Amino acid sequence: MTAAARIREAFDEAGVTGWLHALDIDSGAEIGTGGDHAVVTASVHKLCVLVALHEQAAAGRLDLTEQLEVPLSGRELGPTGVAAMLDPVRMSLRDAAYLMMAVSDNTAAELLLGRIGLDAVNATTARLGLAHTYAVHTFRELLATIKEDAGPGGAQALADPYVIARLRALDPARTNRSTPRDMTRLLSAVWRDEACTPEHGAAIRRLLGLQVWPHRMASGFPFDDVHVAGKTGSLPTLRNEVGVIEYPDGGRYAVAVFTRAASTAATLPPADAVIGTTARIAVEALRGA
Amino acid sequence: MPYVQVHYQSQIDKIAISSLVVDLIRHLECFAAVAEESHFGRAAERLGVAQPPLSQRIQRLERELGVRLFERTSRQVTITKAGTLLLEEARELLARSEALMATARRIRDGESGLLRAALPPDIAGETVAAILADFARLHPGVELELRELTTTQQLAQFASHDLDAGLIHHPCDVSGLELGPVLRREVGVLLPRDAPEAELDAVPLAALSPYDLILFHRAAAPALHDDVLTTCARNGYTPAAVRHGQGASFIRGLILSAHAVALSPRDAHTADRDPDLVWRPLAGAPLSWRLSVAWPRGRSDTAVSTFAEAATRALRETSAVSTELPPRPLHLRPAAEYWL
Repeated sequence: MTAAARIREAFDEAGVTGWLHALDIDSGAEIGTGGDHAVVTASVHKLCVLVALHEQAAAGRLDLTEQLEVPLSGRELGPTGVAAMLDPVRMSLRDAAYLMMAVSDNTAAELLLGRIGLDAVNATTARLGLAHTYAVHTFRELLATIKEDAGPGGAQALADPYVIARLRALDPARTNRSTPRDMTRLLSAVWRDEACTPEHGAAIRRLLGLQVWPHRMASGFPFDDVHVAGKTGSLPTLRNEVGVIEYPDGGRYAVAVFTRAASTAATLPPADAVIGTTARIAVEALRGA
Repeated sequence: MPYVQVHYQSQIDKIAISSLVVDLIRHLECFAAVAEESHFGRAAERLGVAQPPLSQRIQRLERELGVRLFERTSRQVTITKAGTLLLEEARELLARSEALMATARRIRDGESGLLRAALPPDIAGETVAAILADFARLHPGVELELRELTTTQQLAQFASHDLDAGLIHHPCDVSGLELGPVLRREVGVLLPRDAPEAELDAVPLAALSPYDLILFHRAAAPALHDDVLTTCARNGYTPAAVRHGQGASFIRGLILSAHAVALSPRDAHTADRDPDLVWRPLAGAPLSWRLSVAWPRGRSDTAVSTFAEAATRALRETSAVSTELPPRPLHLRPAAEYWL
């Protein structure tokens, strides 16, 4: 069975629809299933925000050590980072970027977007040739569409298929979007120092390596000598991660996995794990194992 | 629907192959007319064209096909053997072309004559009959082509544009679909009538432990299949084996002779009339099938909404659809990455 067929079988087994693209960063060899399919990025788009932030810094338009006041309002956006903190916070732009990448801090991401603007993010992805990648709204606006579409039932209404079917946030045509191939292209540019200067590239790679989540892409590589760096994205029924896997022999692989689960359950370990399983199948196929 | 018309027209203009096909149809019309009239003048009159362009068309068609279709003398036209061989196929193509134009016309006028709809295999016969009768009453001008398809098959046919509407089991991937109201059918257990558990008014899932489980094939609705097994396990029932089957007599046979039980809605099997089987509700109603009518987003018309209405009403009336359960608590974990 081909690797692509095994990947599709793993998606089926996990109860998800999945789209994957994997790229050997040095040889350019690739593998995928649905690699050009339009997908909803969700928090994966924070990677684009991060690259845009560094592009602005490299151009001298901002200083990454510039201090940011995090107001008490706007903390309701998420369960991690400053979004979950109760007291006034002051931190640098780059530390806000750390929280945005390490724990997907929505409030930190919103503040950074407020500083650089959505247009700068889209200008960066366009400059890098990511023709299918586009942000139509900020993370606050994105969550507001879900709240509006879910109606008075709140988060519990998201278990209702009828509600899921009408969420704008799950339709790539109406929300922040990309393709798996665009995302591996972006990661490859970051790892090859083609997206920005080596100094800024190293800072971006460091933050992707500091992500705390072990349950998705990292779960497919249970090896102490393999380095995993990535950024997840999640919304009701959606589970994504894009990242780079580095082997001790120097092999570097950009992998982008986007899934949509049939089940509306918020806790669905097999759907998280299949991101690791399929990434592993793809990387091993690229390595000729 | 002017949008459809304009869109269709613009596609035709862009795609060279379409003009060629339309042209072929026009030439074949001329071929058939001349063959039937055996006379260029009469054929031209019938087609409402002048004779010289008709002759040119026949000549051009003969060049295109590389076959001589008619023997021409000064007085009359005779079809060749090759022409006779091609005439039947030409007529078939013309008939198909007419059917295509007629369907396009009906679609354009918003009254497609055919609705392709599907129901899952476990819907009771009387529900199917009620849907058909209701639809025929509400929408007599449209033929309902009803198919028995699993949820997975329906999703595939929606994607390939082979299905207009269907009744699907949740959960499933509903991207690109619009849904009607979500209905719930309570699921109970089918047991041998002489099983000790048949004595109970409601059977706890844990009491089924000695039995194998008969369930629909996972491929039919994978997420529902997995949900059922998860709920069984959580309630103390992890069957030693899961037997996959759907047909009523197959299930009946396994229950009576293989020490197995089946989970199903009350009306999916005729246990009430079966001397050897009995259906019992599950204690605490831990399981239910959720269904709704679905159709591709933006493709609803009056026929689709009539089907949705008819199916929803029939299910409500015949399948003992119960009301929604009280909502369960939801604890989003930090890895969910969002908060509402």
